[in-house]
Amino acid sequence: MPFNTIPAEDFLNRVNELDYLRGLSVLKGNALGGNVFLEGARGIGKTELLKQLYRLLFWEDHVVPFYYSFKTANLKGTYFAKDYFTKFVRQYISFARKEPSLADSAAEPLQRLMPAISSLGLYWLIDCIEDFQEHVNKNDVYWQIVAAISAPVVAAQKSGKPVIVMLDDFDAAEHLYEASLGDAHGLISLFGESLKNNLCPHVMTGSAGALEAIFTDHSLIGMTEQMRLGPLPEDLATALFKAHLANLKITSAPDEPLQFLGILRGNPLYIRNLAKAAWKMQKRELHENDLIECYGFEVSEGETAFYWSSVFSRYVPSPAARKAMLKLLMYSVENGGIEDGDRLSMVSGLSGAETGAILETMASAGFIRDRDPVFQDFIHCLYMKEVEGRKADDAREKIESKYSSKREESCFELVIPMSSNAELVVAKAVEQIGRNMNLDSEFLNHLQLALIEVCINAMEHSGSYEKKVFLKFITRPDNLRIIIENSGRPFSLDSRTDVPVEEKLRLGVKRGWGFKLVNAIMDGVKIERVNDRTRVILTKEIKNKEALT
Amino acid sequence: MKSVQFKVVSRLDGDAAVIYPKGYLNNLSGESLVLECGMYIGKGITKIVVNFGETDLINSIGISLLLQIIEDLKNIKGTICFTNMSKFLRDTFEMLGLMQHMTVFPLESDALQYLKAGTV
Repeated sequence: MPFNTIPAEDFLNRVNELDYLRGLSVLKGNALGGNVFLEGARGIGKTELLKQLYRLLFWEDHVVPFYYSFKTANLKGTYFAKDYFTKFVRQYISFARKEPSLADSAAEPLQRLMPAISSLGLYWLIDCIEDFQEHVNKNDVYWQIVAAISAPVVAAQKSGKPVIVMLDDFDAAEHLYEASLGDAHGLISLFGESLKNNLCPHVMTGSAGALEAIFTDHSLIGMTEQMRLGPLPEDLATALFKAHLANLKITSAPDEPLQFLGILRGNPLYIRNLAKAAWKMQKRELHENDLIECYGFEVSEGETAFYWSSVFSRYVPSPAARKAMLKLLMYSVENGGIEDGDRLSMVSGLSGAETGAILETMASAGFIRDRDPVFQDFIHCLYMKEVEGRKADDAREKIESKYSSKREESCFELVIPMSSNAELVVAKAVEQIGRNMNLDSEFLNHLQLALIEVCINAMEHSGSYEKKVFLKFITRPDNLRIIIENSGRPFSLDSRTDVPVEEKLRLGVKRGWGFKLVNAIMDGVKIERVNDRTRVILTKEIKNKEALT
Repeated sequence: MKSVQFKVVSRLDGDAAVIYPKGYLNNLSGESLVLECGMYIGKGITKIVVNFGETDLINSIGISLLLQIIEDLKNIKGTICFTNMSKFLRDTFEMLGLMQHMTVFPLESDALQYLKAGTV
């Protein structure tokens, strides 16, 4: 439904892209441009951009817009051909008569449109319809598809007016089939001729990395440029959210900056869904805490969860594969990636080949690439529900508590070289962090010592070629967590034996005090191996006596 | 933590050497402390006072080098005293169970008096 779109004034920050696409037919006519593959994270507004372009061109008169979505298309050849062809004819007449309702009226059979076509003098279109019907009568699937796909080209050639073809979720066309799924590979290549025609620029959307996979003819890749849609800037994202709220008669507390919106990373779909969640939860005035509450609902059982769940089902229809993918994605969320190839079969519970196929699907679907926090939270919720068998309410609470506590959290990151006295830079940093937390100086000296010990341990024993130590300080009013990472030789506390002091002195063993100190100073010392890195996690609970009052 | 460049200053007080390590006591600075003590030992001095009044931070390598000095003195039947330790330093040695193996005085003068008289 090309006219099912948001008002132009609420469509923010896409003026340049819209202008470029609007002039695409002129560029292609002059052999200066060709087709465009729109790329961007899911929900970033690719479909909306196509629909806005459609609406814009519809009311102008020099290019005919045609929009087709593969998202909901039936991919069986005969159904697809009929659907594609009928939609084109309907949208063409709708454009010619400037009657938007014609484009959206799916129920109207083509025969009923014949008088309208005649009155417009589009006799070539009548020929076109008759030709198509002949292929249908002969039950010739191949020619039905060709005729449908060629219809915009024929129209452009007969009328002399370019047709811009917008193919939403075009990569799905790779799965077109004749009678049963997978029986006819490569039907997508039938779009090749249409794509080459200089009167028909194409604008396609699809998942990242799909372009090379769907075009076997490399000349098509050469004449197709990629356009990446980025997120909305922070201020515009907030403005859009507030505009949605205003439409839903919800106000936001004037003195609250709604910082939590940052997690949506300027994604218009998430922004809209969150505003709708506030409306569903009957919020009248929105505060930061309400946002977290609405977000918890959204990623566990709201529209965002439903959206991602549908995308999931599209890529992994079988329940076993879905569960395995979920486990792999959860593993990826927890470990910041899935580089550790050897363990993945253990994680998925499937064979290496099956796991490999799932990983391939995950990569082509772009599930891992974007590191989208909303998607990661959705995965967490889905994992809790489908793998751990927990209720949606539990998942929601988990997300809410995660962000409620994060609000009071600060995070600092630091990278030091493995060079002499570099650990003093860390000591200085933790001193200032501690002052920000109002910690007393003696307590801070001990923290400094613990950190110095972990750093010099990394410097002395890792044998790292990278020669860097990465530190992350996460502070909360009642807790300090420090994560220290370095590449190189694995390190483990298990290999250390605790020799009594007297014995050490008697034997003249003078080294090996470092982790004894660290353990004495910190409340928690955890050592992990993540890929080729050693990760030491130090935690310290802040008690009253350690904080200045 | 002060940003003091490590240095070792020392003086003789009768038959005892008093050493003042200043700043961050780590491997490099610890070695210069060992050298300074070694210099006095080489001159036949067997009584050493280490005044930690201006030592603001120490690491485990610095601690191991202090143990080296204690052992060196023990080998020549000498005496080493530690004074003016901050609470942080005392706690650090306590954590490692080393305090009971060190002769510690609150003030440098107490240590010197002990070394002269053999008692406080």
